[in-house]
Amino acid sequence: MRSQVVASWLAAVLALPAVGGAQEPVKDEAEETDRKKLEEDIARELGAPPAPGEAQASPQPGAAQGGAGQGAAGSGDAARLARLLMLPDLSAVVSGAMAYGTYDIEQRSPRSGPFGPEGKPAFLFEELELGIQAVVDPYARADAFVAFTPEGAEIEEAYLTTLALPAGLQVRAGKLFSPFGRQNQQHPHAWEFVDAPLAQSRLLAEEALSGAGVDVSWLAPLPWFATLHLAGQSTAPGEEDPTALTGLARLEQFFSLGDAVTLGVGVSAARRDEPGGGAFRDLGGVDLYLRFRPLQSRSYLALSGELYARRFRGAEDAPDGTDTGGWAQAFWRHGRHLGYGARYEWAPSAGEAASGTEQRAAALLAWLPSEFQRLRLQVAYDRRPGGEDGLETLLQLEFGLGAHGAHPF
Amino acid sequence: MRTPSVASLALLLPALAAADPRIVTTTEGLAALAREVAGGRARVESLSRGVQDPHFVDANPILAVKLRDADLLVDVGLELEVGWLPPLVTQSRNARIQPGGPARLTAASAIQVLDVPTGVVDRSRGDLHAGGNPHFLTDPRRALQVAAAIAERLAALDPGGADAYRGNLAAFRARIDAAIPRWQAALAPVKGRKLITQHRTLPYFLAWTGLESAGELEPKPGVPPPPAHLADLVQVARREGVKAIVLENYYDRRSADVVARHAGAKVVQIPGDVGGEPGVGGYEQYIGVLVDRIAGTAR
Repeated sequence: MRSQVVASWLAAVLALPAVGGAQEPVKDEAEETDRKKLEEDIARELGAPPAPGEAQASPQPGAAQGGAGQGAAGSGDAARLARLLMLPDLSAVVSGAMAYGTYDIEQRSPRSGPFGPEGKPAFLFEELELGIQAVVDPYARADAFVAFTPEGAEIEEAYLTTLALPAGLQVRAGKLFSPFGRQNQQHPHAWEFVDAPLAQSRLLAEEALSGAGVDVSWLAPLPWFATLHLAGQSTAPGEEDPTALTGLARLEQFFSLGDAVTLGVGVSAARRDEPGGGAFRDLGGVDLYLRFRPLQSRSYLALSGELYARRFRGAEDAPDGTDTGGWAQAFWRHGRHLGYGARYEWAPSAGEAASGTEQRAAALLAWLPSEFQRLRLQVAYDRRPGGEDGLETLLQLEFGLGAHGAHPF
Repeated sequence: MRTPSVASLALLLPALAAADPRIVTTTEGLAALAREVAGGRARVESLSRGVQDPHFVDANPILAVKLRDADLLVDVGLELEVGWLPPLVTQSRNARIQPGGPARLTAASAIQVLDVPTGVVDRSRGDLHAGGNPHFLTDPRRALQVAAAIAERLAALDPGGADAYRGNLAAFRARIDAAIPRWQAALAPVKGRKLITQHRTLPYFLAWTGLESAGELEPKPGVPPPPAHLADLVQVARREGVKAIVLENYYDRRSADVVARHAGAKVVQIPGDVGGEPGVGGYEQYIGVLVDRIAGTAR
């Protein structure tokens, strides 16, 4: 479930020439006039402007759209070339946004997601995420993701996954997003919303909770999907020491509630060493995911939410005590081109804001001309302690190139 | 399962001897063929349902549980399932069903593939399948080839049942061989006619039956049709005498209705696979429905 944006293109069958071989028809003027009228009639009858991305002249149905060799068994030379060279699957996902906010987000609501300066619109390049994925040998596969951002290049993840361990066991080793919660393990282009919930960046990690280490998971021999993860990693939730040991555990389950409904429930816990003798931080999380998708439909409704708690004990630079935060969202994918979302969240305030709970509500409109690009408008209203309010707007473009990954679930 | 070679098949035998093999397929069409071959000797289950568009199945982790227990995974291949199957296979922790594994059979490897794109292959041409057209079970001759490949693989995995599998295959072959002349007779009145489809799902059916395509509602694979393209199609349909706009029942039919109305053709909805509509429970019924519906456009 990684390269998804890219997603579903799979679709289509074929490619080629419209069968039948017809030759370019000779058109006289009367026929052309007739065709124009037909097009207008059809547009009116379909009750909508032409579907997205189709403003350009359409190809002639009778004309070949590029040659396809009929009947050449397995002779896709271009397709085979990559296989012959043993190239891994390469993909890139690029994102950038136009941001506008009515307050100083950097100082008064610091976060990881894209934001602009106070009171004026700004264009922001977010990242180019390069994915390199392949089977290593009969026993393992590898997935690596490098993010190129204005701050530089960073290896987001690079890990090996075993394929052939017995007893339902699987090991991932390398640098990886921690198996804590659901959203933390997804790359940004798999999120329904443009940015991460505040609670995730304030309580788990500024970016994703991640680091070098090992994740051992066990698929329990039960009739539903139940996995138990035990992981050890060196994590750096903020800008501190990147070598602090973190132990994690996660139980993730999915249940089928009929043909159209799936329920996912996860519980996560982690303990991280902190500077100072015997100091540590504990993290706890609960995540829920409920997805409705009629079998015959491309549309679906996904309800999801997570709760996080963080507690410090004996840390040098953080007072003992427990902080909590969370988010809940609904996303409706309507057909192949549109999506609508709503999200509510709360988290401890940060930066120069008064201490207390910050709340934010966001609405999202997504337009997908194809499975390989999307344009999203996210408008959020932010209320910080002390009665400070602010509005933020993000218009984000995202597109994917190269190998097609599976869609996120 | 350390080595995905034929030699390692022997390692599987004790496991299979204890119980009937569990066969998991990606589509109901493949499941129907597997049931014909396995008879009562194996349990067969499809990951997707016949009413679903097989390109857009969810990578629901619950499906990985079915794959965990699979003794044989039969997939279509040609990237039909690329959007959902690979992560499920990884999550399953079942080494034998990995690509190239002893318990993985990709049906496309058993047939001659049509529509292999040549020239520049990129997404400006829509969501094309670089390896060729994956909708080959609409041709019963190719379905027999796939069934034969399933029988051979099952015989290798479960030698005790080899005779049964080959016997079941022979019985299935006899039924299909007997049905083909009937189906072709039913289609004789429309032979040479042209039809329009939503997506290029029928090239194998057309090649088998001698019908022809006048184009697709989709201007490019996976791309929804704009009015300009539909207008062109209406003119083609009028000129070529197209009587049928054929589409699987998981597609929205509005564009087909519009073209049919202007061109004086009929919209013919077909099941996308075995199980695609009530009463289409087996492979012969599925082909029978395709033949009846399309032959019906001549009346």
